[in-house]
Formats: sequence, C-alpha cells, structure tokens
Amino acid sequence: MRLTALLAMATAKLPPGYRHGTHRPGSYADKIRNPPWLRRRRLILEPLSEEDWKVFKGDTVEILKGKDAGKQGLVSQVIRARHWIFVKGMNVHYRYLGKYGDYPGMCVPSEAPLMLRQITLIDPADRKPTEVEWRYTEEGERVRVSLRTGRIIPLPEVEHPDGIVPELWIDGPKDTSVDDALAKTYKASLKTFEEEIMELTGIAETRRARKSFWY
Amino acid sequence: MGLLAELTRGLVRGADRMAEFTSKCGSRFHKKGRGIKGMGFKVKGRRFRLIQEMIPEFVVPDLTGFKLKPYVSYKAPEGEEPALTAKQLFMDFVAPQIEKDVKEGTFDPHNLEKYGFEPTQEGKLFQLYPKNYVR
Repeated sequence: MRLTALLAMATAKLPPGYRHGTHRPGSYADKIRNPPWLRRRRLILEPLSEEDWKVFKGDTVEILKGKDAGKQGLVSQVIRARHWIFVKGMNVHYRYLGKYGDYPGMCVPSEAPLMLRQITLIDPADRKPTEVEWRYTEEGERVRVSLRTGRIIPLPEVEHPDGIVPELWIDGPKDTSVDDALAKTYKASLKTFEEEIMELTGIAETRRARKSFWY
Repeated sequence: MGLLAELTRGLVRGADRMAEFTSKCGSRFHKKGRGIKGMGFKVKGRRFRLIQEMIPEFVVPDLTGFKLKPYVSYKAPEGEEPALTAKQLFMDFVAPQIEKDVKEGTFDPHNLEKYGFEPTQEGKLFQLYPKNYVR
C-alpha cells in the first residue's frame, strides 16, 4: 500500500474527546463502540502529570476499597488516560463466552479496573502498603521511595511485548551479531554517501544537469 | 472506514464511494498509472521519448564479506553515541587539520579549500544546497 497511508496508520491520532475503554484503540471492538463521529461527555479525572505517575505494569499493589479490599496482587495492565489499574485476578466479575443455541457458554472471570485512589504500592521489605514519592538518588537516578520506611521501590522489569527474553535469544541467519552491530567502522569524511559509492565502483560522471529554476 | 460505513449504514447499498480509484477500477480502456514520476516526454504530440537517465538505477557496491545483516540481535544494548551533526563532523575531521597548520604556521585564511570548504555549489554533481539528490 502507499507509504503515506502506512505512515498515517502507524501514527494514527485519536479523535479529540476520545474516551478510553477496556478495548485497545484501533481494534475492531473499539471501532464499533467509538465510531469517528461519536462525541461523549468528557470525564473528570484527578489532575495528575505524566511525571508523577507511580504505578507500572508488573508492580505489586494492595487494594484498599472494593470487593477485594485488603488483598495484594500484580498489576496486569495500566490505562493512564482513565487512571485505571487492572490487578490480576482481583475485582473480578464473571461472564459467559461463546454462547450458542442451548450451550450457555464458558464462564470466564474478567477483571474490572480500579482507580488510583483504590490502590497503594507495597514496600517490598515488610510487604505493607505505603505512600510513595519520586526522589533522586545521589547518582542522579529518579526512583520511587516509600515515605514510611525510606526504602527504594525498584521499577518492575519491562517485559518484551513478544515474550522474548534477550538473554536467552539465539541469533538467526539474518541477525547481526552483537559485536558486528557495536563495531565502530565509521570513517569521517566530507564526501556525501553518493560520492563515496561512485568512487568505490569507479563511476565517473562528467555531465552536469542543465540549470533550472522554480518558484 | 469502509468497514464501518458498511456496518452502520444499514440498508444503504452500493459501492464504497470513498475508496481510492486505482488502475484496477474502471473500464478496460481507462488507463491509469499508480503515481510514478515521468521518465521522458511526448514528441510530436503522441510518441513518447524515454530518457535512460531518468530511469532509476540502483548502484550497489560489492557486498562480499559485509558483516551487517537486515536485523540486529535482541542481545545488543542500545547505542549511546549521539546523532552526527555538522558541527561534530567539523570537529572530528577538519578541526585537527586546521590546528596542525596553525601550529606549524602554514594556515592561510584565503585558502580554505584544502580543508574542504566549497565557496559555491556550482559545477558539483551532488549539490548540498539546493539539494539535488534524493536522500
């Protein structure tokens, strides 16, 4: 397809006033529920800047309010636009999937999102809920510090979306090895790339383009 | 958008009028291209004169023993070198030569061509400004 169309697809902007739901923006279900002409009332959210965001996917959090109050769980998904946090296996309601004819369908648990106010981060030392703040270490690194004990809460490891573990990766025939990729073979020169290639292949071009003007 | 138009317009039937009109559409006498740049001009109103120089030709040097491949291993860490700027290129390549000449006392401010200075881009095949090469 056309390159411009492909690039436009890659950097698709959401319409103004788009309300994020549990479906990924751009998916089939999302396109059905949020057609381009839909204009819903804007939701009111607690003002929170992007830098002050503290909860990430893979963190252990404790739920304060709701059905599973007092339980700890792993964050499986975060939707920052709505201040939503999905904790794996918590705040669950049941629904039936794949119903047809007389077959009632498979009963499946699905997690409902929790708001930021219903969640706290956990101090890994004593595994109790704490208030957390962003602070800087002596080296200049920005870390989350629990206000009760003063211990640093490390950021959870970001998992590769494909499930690939870089340490266990085996290079294929089309993969450049690490040494070849990091080898510095660049020699600074004032020639353009085209001039260098012409020299390498021995092309000599003495003709010059006729002078043209445009406005 | 075509899918949504089909779904939400219900009983309205017909072709997708918003789709792009490509060379696959229309009658067999309707000839249409796919948007390539012209490679010649029409002579005597009808005959097309092709100019060989306007046809793109890929010049690829010999790649035997070339170690870089299409993909990079996942094990490779992210690079830390900043992107090359004109100032960095000058400091890496030209500044040492000028420094050497200044120390020897042979620096001539009227003969900057030996360090790569180009007073005009006229007469060059690949002019930097206005850029006359694709890349």
